[in-house]
Amino acid sequence: MSLCAGAAGLGLGCLLVILGTLLWHGVGGLSLGVFTKMTPPPGDSGGLLNAIAGSLIMTALGVAIGAPVGIFAGTYMAEYGRKSKLTAVVRFINDILLSAPSIVVGLFVYTIMVAPRVRVSIPIPQQLVSALGSKIEFTLGGHFSGLAGAVALAVIVIPIVVRTTEDMLLLVPQELREAAAALGTPRWLVIRRVSYRAARAGIITGVLLAVARISGETAPLLFTALNNQFWSVKLNAPIASLPAVIFQYALSPYDDWQRLAWVGALIITLAVLALSISARALSVQRKAQ
Amino acid sequence: MSEVAVAIPLTTDSKGLPLAERVSIRNVSFHYGDVRALRDINVALYDRRITAFIGPSGCGKSTLLRVLNRMYSLYPNQRAEGEVLLDGENILAPGLDLNLLRSRVGMVFQKPTPFPLSIYDNIAFGIGLYERLRKSELDARVESCLRQAALWDEVKDKLGASGLSLSGGQQQRLCLARTVAIKPEVILLDEPCSALDPVSTARIEDLLFELKERYTIVIVTHNMQQAARVSDFTAFLLLGELVEFGETTEVFTRPKEKQTEAYVTGRFG
Repeated sequence: MSLCAGAAGLGLGCLLVILGTLLWHGVGGLSLGVFTKMTPPPGDSGGLLNAIAGSLIMTALGVAIGAPVGIFAGTYMAEYGRKSKLTAVVRFINDILLSAPSIVVGLFVYTIMVAPRVRVSIPIPQQLVSALGSKIEFTLGGHFSGLAGAVALAVIVIPIVVRTTEDMLLLVPQELREAAAALGTPRWLVIRRVSYRAARAGIITGVLLAVARISGETAPLLFTALNNQFWSVKLNAPIASLPAVIFQYALSPYDDWQRLAWVGALIITLAVLALSISARALSVQRKAQ
Repeated sequence: MSEVAVAIPLTTDSKGLPLAERVSIRNVSFHYGDVRALRDINVALYDRRITAFIGPSGCGKSTLLRVLNRMYSLYPNQRAEGEVLLDGENILAPGLDLNLLRSRVGMVFQKPTPFPLSIYDNIAFGIGLYERLRKSELDARVESCLRQAALWDEVKDKLGASGLSLSGGQQQRLCLARTVAIKPEVILLDEPCSALDPVSTARIEDLLFELKERYTIVIVTHNMQQAARVSDFTAFLLLGELVEFGETTEVFTRPKEKQTEAYVTGRFG
């Protein structure tokens, strides 16, 4: 018993030390300027606005791409293909993906979206030529981009959401599905109105946990979105993000950069903490039902 | 369906009241994968009568009930053979519209299964599948269904509350209300009182007497007193076979088969 309590104390102690250090170094640097100014050159004052904006954009886009894919896949596994071979295979691969190092995900997206340079040319039908020219041409890839960063984050989101969605839907009692079917409810409506409703809090919790996870990811962004010293919200160009800025600034020899890195770390930690607490509150509410 | 040959030749009951055969179960066998659960079952379900399926656990009474609304079709390895005629139409025929069938044959389960919706929406859910009603009409329908299930007075002030917040007996009556809301012809009840206390059980039984004025009702129960109290006809099943089928008074007081007598007098099972 004392061993267990000791281990728990050690874990909790480490956590408190980390939080304390963060607060100690971070709070002092917190100011309005952090949220309104761009990342500065060394020796100048500045904030983290472009990094915060970049992080928000890529996280939102990553979840917007990853969560629907994950929810649909999880729905297939729990509702339609419960005993199918495909489900067993997908579950196995998903578990591997769930524990894959995120730097591998970054390299994967680098290989498919950043490294290759593809010239896309779409011919336009004769009738429309005058208005738009004879064809639309643009280049995909060939450089770091916010979109590649978002896709990398989405690849991390998918396995988390697949897993929680499947687990939560499997917890919905089969009697409830039978009861809905007994009223003559079509299958898709049973899933939409009854299964999703019963598993709603759990699925949202999963998505929130995925958001918490990707908002602190650095490795997948280093190979995809890279970083940007300046204000940019273009998805086809390199874009700044909090973790990448922290990585860069924390390793720098400049005091003001290091101070900003501490502030950035504090902001991420507090955001993740808030997300975890809301996820926790939701699951408590689910149990209360 | 008088032109259809009747499996059990009864056209009036012992009180001389006319009987109309609503559902005819003919030579029905049932398989879970390779395991046969029912063999050559023949039973008639009469309009505006309550028929009880009784028998020890595992005899196939719930299985037979789940044939009547094709609930087993949710599971790929379960199949039924034979014929079940509902108003002359074979509901086991391939290609049958299962959702249409289930709108005609409603079901209440052993465990109360309210949806995770408000009390109001629990009733409105099924209605919305088949009818587009104006708000005032829908309100009236919800109220009449809750009244039919003798639940209105208890919930009229909290229709927006979750169906899960009700007690077990109330939840089961909510499920009954939900079932009658889509105007079925037949109501199937799978041990509806086994999770309820005696007071709630009595309320459900009282309800069944009222509901049988309008519906053909089938109840699966392992409570013999309940079968004797509420049902007009009784089918006794044993090990997947029908041992005896007849009027409840006959089956309970003058059973033709020794096995039936042993079971209803409580000597086994």
